[in-house]
Amino acid sequence: MSVSLRCVEASDLLLPGSLPEALAMMAEPEPPTPLAGGTDLMVQCEAGARKPPARLLSLKQLPELKGIDEADDTIRIGAGATHWQIRNHADVKVGLPGLVEAVSMVGGRQIQTMGTIGGSLANGSPAGDIAPYLLIADAVVEVASIEGTRQIPIRNFLIDYRKIDLKPNELIVAVTCKVLPEGAKEGWRKLGPRAAQAISKIMGNYRGKIVDGVIESFAVSLGSVAPTAIRLPEVEAFLVGKPLSEETIAEAERLASASVKPISDIRSTAEYRKWVAGRLVRGFLTSFTKGNEGSEGSEGCES
Amino acid sequence: MQTKEITFKHVGQGIPRRDGDEKVRGLARYVDDLNIPDCWYGVAVRSPVAHGRLKTLRYDPAFDFDQVCVVTPEDIPGKNIVDMMGQDMPFLAHDLIRYRGEPLALVAAPTRQLAEQAAAHIQPDIDPLEPLYTLEEVIALHKTDRSKLDELSAQTIIKGSVDEGLAAADKVIEGEYWAGHQEQLYIEPQGMVAIPEKDGGVFLQGSLQCPYYIAPELIVTLGLPLEKIRVKQAAVGGAFGGKEEFPTLVAGYCALLAMKSGKPVKMVYDRCQDIRYSTKRHPAWMKYRVGLKNDGTITAIHVDFVLDGGAYTTLSPVVLYRGILHTTLGYNCEHVFVDGRVYRTHTFPDGAFRGFGAPQAIWGLESHMQECADALGMDAEVFRLKNYLRAGDKTGTGQVISAEMDPPAVMLETLKRSDFVNRRTLNTYGVPRDGKFFGVGVAFFGHGSGFTGDGEMRLQSKAALDLDWLPNGKPGVNIRISSTEMGQGTLTIMPQIAADGLKIPMACVDCPLPDTKYVPDSGPTVASRTAMVVGSTVYGAAEKMKALLEQYASDAFFGGHPCHLEDGVLTCSAVSQSQTFEDVARRLLEEKGMQRVVHQFKLPDTVVWDQKTFKGDSYPSYSWSANIVEVEIDALTLEIKLKKATSVWDIGRLMNPVLAKGQIEGGLTQALGYALMEKMGIRDGLFDADRMQTYVVPTSLDTPEFDIHFMEYPYPHAAPGAKGVGEIPMDGLAPAIANAIKAATGIRMNRIPITPESLWEAMPSTRKEIAS
Repeated sequence: MSVSLRCVEASDLLLPGSLPEALAMMAEPEPPTPLAGGTDLMVQCEAGARKPPARLLSLKQLPELKGIDEADDTIRIGAGATHWQIRNHADVKVGLPGLVEAVSMVGGRQIQTMGTIGGSLANGSPAGDIAPYLLIADAVVEVASIEGTRQIPIRNFLIDYRKIDLKPNELIVAVTCKVLPEGAKEGWRKLGPRAAQAISKIMGNYRGKIVDGVIESFAVSLGSVAPTAIRLPEVEAFLVGKPLSEETIAEAERLASASVKPISDIRSTAEYRKWVAGRLVRGFLTSFTKGNEGSEGSEGCES
Repeated sequence: MQTKEITFKHVGQGIPRRDGDEKVRGLARYVDDLNIPDCWYGVAVRSPVAHGRLKTLRYDPAFDFDQVCVVTPEDIPGKNIVDMMGQDMPFLAHDLIRYRGEPLALVAAPTRQLAEQAAAHIQPDIDPLEPLYTLEEVIALHKTDRSKLDELSAQTIIKGSVDEGLAAADKVIEGEYWAGHQEQLYIEPQGMVAIPEKDGGVFLQGSLQCPYYIAPELIVTLGLPLEKIRVKQAAVGGAFGGKEEFPTLVAGYCALLAMKSGKPVKMVYDRCQDIRYSTKRHPAWMKYRVGLKNDGTITAIHVDFVLDGGAYTTLSPVVLYRGILHTTLGYNCEHVFVDGRVYRTHTFPDGAFRGFGAPQAIWGLESHMQECADALGMDAEVFRLKNYLRAGDKTGTGQVISAEMDPPAVMLETLKRSDFVNRRTLNTYGVPRDGKFFGVGVAFFGHGSGFTGDGEMRLQSKAALDLDWLPNGKPGVNIRISSTEMGQGTLTIMPQIAADGLKIPMACVDCPLPDTKYVPDSGPTVASRTAMVVGSTVYGAAEKMKALLEQYASDAFFGGHPCHLEDGVLTCSAVSQSQTFEDVARRLLEEKGMQRVVHQFKLPDTVVWDQKTFKGDSYPSYSWSANIVEVEIDALTLEIKLKKATSVWDIGRLMNPVLAKGQIEGGLTQALGYALMEKMGIRDGLFDADRMQTYVVPTSLDTPEFDIHFMEYPYPHAAPGAKGVGEIPMDGLAPAIANAIKAATGIRMNRIPITPESLWEAMPSTRKEIAS
């Protein structure tokens, strides 16, 4: 079977050799559409949800967007790093274990091989698999244009439904995450309509630390329950300093459920999402009492 | 013809798929791969409303229509009718529009882009009418005011007196069951090419199941005699019934454009078009009322069975017949009343899909039988085994279960292999254990093999074998049948069967893709009939070809003494000489040219069927199965996981155990999607899950541990004795899963797909938690 790709047929492809060259092209009056893995863009064009752009600017070959580098307590991931590279990176596995789990559930191997962390953020979908993790890892998004570079905390970068803090002439260059602190634990769960190759109905991440049965810190985020991925500040504020008891867990579950206003769509219902938002928080907290390693997540594909 | 004493050499062996290599290597040529010079591309101008009256088509004067070919109803050489049941569907709507996307005109152009542009410049003016979209709306009217519904078909089954049976009951158990649309989601979307022939005829090649549906159905529309409509199958990337009757539409569109333009015209749907504008499984609603004695005896079964037929009749009556015949199948009951109806809605016509009405019926039947067992406090298997049909018992239509069938055998074996009686002690009945609900559920069912009633008698299926030169230059036998390969293994099992009938090596037998120019009508590739009916017809033809070869060899080589063909060698004991098949065939071909033998399928004379009263032998035979499943539900999220599926199958004699197991694993996976995932809604008259991203089918990670086991009870009247395997795997998994979910949660889910969301709605405890 041959395949016709309306996106590719209709668009001119620009292939800059370096980031400055790419930024110069982005500075033109009608900037081209950046193309990373194309795993969202090409599907959107093919489905008629988006008009094929006149010009595409390929990011794949830019050396500045590659690379994953560890500093003291952070890991800087180039925007062009693919899910597959992130998943198999030794430093990321140790420092950002929840990210490894999150990218493992993005599509299947083909999508993971093509898709990039920068592309996932730029797509701005509230169901994106990466943003909730970046929220609990206090990530900073680095964007660049010919005017210079901006460092934007992820919670400010995600503005609204499919709206991010990225100007038409800017490119996402890197994402820097705080590594899991000593003694802390993080985990993740995605509920999709099937075991793999699925867009989430809801997903969440947490990072927390319990000392002598008392919650010292707890960050929790959810995706697919609001126009963007969100943290749950009320739940977090309630939990810090509390003993990890059934009473605490029940109240956190109630608070989490009460604090989200999800919608019904083709994947799930508002009512179920609202209920299960609380259930995920319960599951995250219970994982501390069980003392099991890592996350609550179900198995990723090709793990 | 008795099969028991025959021994088989190739039949029963797990021979690899003959078309496997070319498909794995990407060498198989699907319709979109065919290189057809100067081929134009066809598209349809589709209605933007689901129900209305077409006033006129407006052509944008700014667009140059001279560069394209446009077909409107006036251009149709014959009648503007799709020649299917009901005769109610036009090829191009010209007055009443009955579904959104119904073609109003056709456009062909040298490129797809230009054809799409031209189509966009043809605008219909339509007076809209009120549409009826869903089965829920239909059932509301069915219960209150049927005069507002358009009935496409109706049929009853009556045995004894259901009122008498209900009056004799200690308890009457009622239940309603719902099933939604299901999309076939074959890998290769619909596609066809029509090439005008010099003699005024048309040559069609494409992705299709039934070449002899398309050719005769197009006579009326194209105004051509049958011999001028040639249909050839290209490699098919899956079908599941979705390429049974539907390809006639695309074939007609392409043929009309090709005949007007004089150009070859191709149409290949993209995924979104394919989902929106091709057939689905009929949504179904059933209401069961079953009379029971306290000892577990079933005194009466009353069933209302309603299908949503979509916009036109097409095959709905036949789907209804198979549906109602399976609503009580397997259970022994004196008093049966089944009231089956199909109503029209304003969505794309529903059509054939693996199982053809039976999966809907068995979803209701086996869910309700469990409700009956539960109401009596009887164990699932005890209730079923008490009531199940045994040899000598009569079905709802009065068909006697013959001595060579033993339906409960598969149930007993499944119970044993699944350790059901011990495993069910782990059922959680609504109280989770270690954060999980657990349940084990059973379904027990049969599936009629072949066409309903005396359909196989009326079809008069034929198979031909041609002794000819094969592509490798050697003499051999070509199997000429209209049965198609669509992934199920036809191209492999037919040579196995022919080689066994002829007693020659499989390498000497070929099975080319069907082309109506060369193959007789063996009937359609549907109804789990290919191995049983066409396989037996090929076997009969092979025996004739063997006799022909033996006669020729006797005359040509052995001085008139009789000889015997075995293992590819013709031996004459009278003269103690032998000749190879190849040498005999070579001389015969050189001397007399190609030799054809034809055989026609016959049912035993004892088969009696009354199509009006639905009494008699409703199917030539039945396959039987039991599925026992273990389901785990996460108490935290209500995610449902099918952990294990144990199943035992009587599909008659196995033609190829590896392919049969593949059919069953694939079918069970499709049934898993039907039960737990595949959800199709209607939004503004169109199916809402119109992409693979939104129409969620299971992947291998969703499949359970499968334990699949066969018990062979060959069909005695058609050697080699296959029954049907194609459809039955689709039938029983959904109710088995629902029964397991009840054992796990205590809740009867009566609507598929069953999702965490629907389970959440049904579980009052979870609702309470959110309210608190």
